[in-house]
Amino acid sequence: MKDCYLGVDIGSISTKGVIIDDNNNIIAEEYIWTEASPVEAVRKLVKILDEKLPSGYVVKGIGTTGSARKLIGLLLKANVVKNEITAHAIGTVTFYPDVRTILEIGGQDSKIILIKNGIITNYAMNTLCAAGTGAFLSSQAKRLGLDVKDFGEYALKSDNPVKIAARCTVFAESDLVHKAQAGYEKKDIIAGLCKSVVMNYLNNVGKGKKIVGPIIFQGGVSKNKGVIKYFEEILGQKVIVPENSHLMGAIGIAILARKNKTGHTYSLELEDTEFHTKGFECNRCANNCELLKIYRNNKIVDSWGSKCGKY
Amino acid sequence: MNKVGIPRGIFYYYYKDIWTNFFDALDVPYIISPKTNKKIMKLGVKHSNDEMCLSMKVYMGHLFYLKDKCDYLLVPRIDNFKCNNQTCTNFLALYDIVSNVVDNPILNYNIDLEKNKNLKKGLYDIGFKLGKSKKEIKKAYKYALKEYKDRRKAGIKKNIKNLESEKIKILIVSHPYNTYDEMIGADIIKYLESNDIKLIYSDKFSSKEVNKLSLKYSKDIYFKYNKDNIGALKYSEDKIDGVIFLSSFPCGPDSIANELVMRKINLPYLNLIVDDSSGFAGMETRLESFIDMLGERHE
Repeated sequence: MKDCYLGVDIGSISTKGVIIDDNNNIIAEEYIWTEASPVEAVRKLVKILDEKLPSGYVVKGIGTTGSARKLIGLLLKANVVKNEITAHAIGTVTFYPDVRTILEIGGQDSKIILIKNGIITNYAMNTLCAAGTGAFLSSQAKRLGLDVKDFGEYALKSDNPVKIAARCTVFAESDLVHKAQAGYEKKDIIAGLCKSVVMNYLNNVGKGKKIVGPIIFQGGVSKNKGVIKYFEEILGQKVIVPENSHLMGAIGIAILARKNKTGHTYSLELEDTEFHTKGFECNRCANNCELLKIYRNNKIVDSWGSKCGKY
Repeated sequence: MNKVGIPRGIFYYYYKDIWTNFFDALDVPYIISPKTNKKIMKLGVKHSNDEMCLSMKVYMGHLFYLKDKCDYLLVPRIDNFKCNNQTCTNFLALYDIVSNVVDNPILNYNIDLEKNKNLKKGLYDIGFKLGKSKKEIKKAYKYALKEYKDRRKAGIKKNIKNLESEKIKILIVSHPYNTYDEMIGADIIKYLESNDIKLIYSDKFSSKEVNKLSLKYSKDIYFKYNKDNIGALKYSEDKIDGVIFLSSFPCGPDSIANELVMRKINLPYLNLIVDDSSGFAGMETRLESFIDMLGERHE
């Protein structure tokens, strides 16, 4: 029997899972939509991965990352629960040891990670707003009556991207409506949108950081060829998009699970596991904390949300 | 009864020791609003203009919590500390805002060193207003000031000593009314401390020493508290592992000073902006990854 490790990255929009072996080779992978119910998405994901996993492997470690990492960590009894920045960096460095900059644009957040000699030296994340992320692009796609997947192709056709405000989604949207009504071509507007995502990212997240190559671009938006084009144009450097760029977080956390293995063997059968959460408001003090209790097989395993630490 | 109400916000974090000791010595009863909680926050948001910063909204919450529980409200106006040391316009405006929204009589004093109005004059005026004699006030003021200075010195000493720690050290560049507020900075501080990080606070440095150090970053900033903050950063630059800029949304002076310094320092930093809507999950991701990174660098 050979050992393998499961890494799950539960993002706001999509849920990604990979199983790797001791040499970091991907044995099984899957990418599905989260659809605002991470537990159901992960059940589905793990079932698919279990079917894809060739016989002769045993799972020796599970890691979770992404915004639902804590919750899913409890569901899967993961041995590693880590934030997505660390996971992305570890995944990327494993495949590109000399990487210096990671650009990442996801569904609702975007980040930049600077690396030197395989160690993170600085990073930044978008602060309050989700402007210039995947969510922005898909809502604009809906407005234009297109599938966001086709955005890249459209943008590449344009030689003359329209100028769209890069600062704020609300302004960008009114700019977009105005330009559309003024009669600009769809491809030029889409190209302008892609460019505004890049400008927004460099202004809000990049903020004067020195972007040195090799540059790796990841996250869902990295599948958009228009955005890649404008990154390269504005940065004046080549931007590498790994084939499995959307899986990098999952791969990173699987590697961490391997490094932190305890010898315990995991089962991927979740069907018998009963898992639910219960939210309630505590009225013991004026804070009225919204608490969440997490039950696994009808036994309370954790609860969070309390300010005072009573729960 | 002459009960004085002290809102636990903005000015409180600079003057609490002086005020409480002064009133204690004068035998004047006072009430301080409790630590900020959701109820106070809601009260503040309800009674604020939407463009005020979160710290102001919190202040308004404390004010409305207190208004029926005391006779006087203590609201100073702080304008400047001379030599290009202005305060944020909110520090000037609060007295006028407060006097427009509540009916309570206000105990007010001005700090405007350019016009020679200082803390001593201010507290004397307040003492007279409360019907105390000059002799009593003199004694109380002397006591309050000494107590304050001793405590402040001890705080600074401890803070500077932490710079020598072997642990991972993070400088919190923030205003005290954000750092120590229960709904703004407290969770962040708690999280960092539970992860065995040594914290150094930018407000616990001697202003005399660090204020002029800020000139090394920029000669154009004229906000006193921001100059102190970034001066503290200059002072500790070589001794810390990272910086966390913590501000309340949408702070004007911070958005100039902090953003400017971020582009000039050669240290890992994290910029956290707190709003009343923020849950802690997003904060936690940023803090956790920041600590991970500093841990790797530290080794």
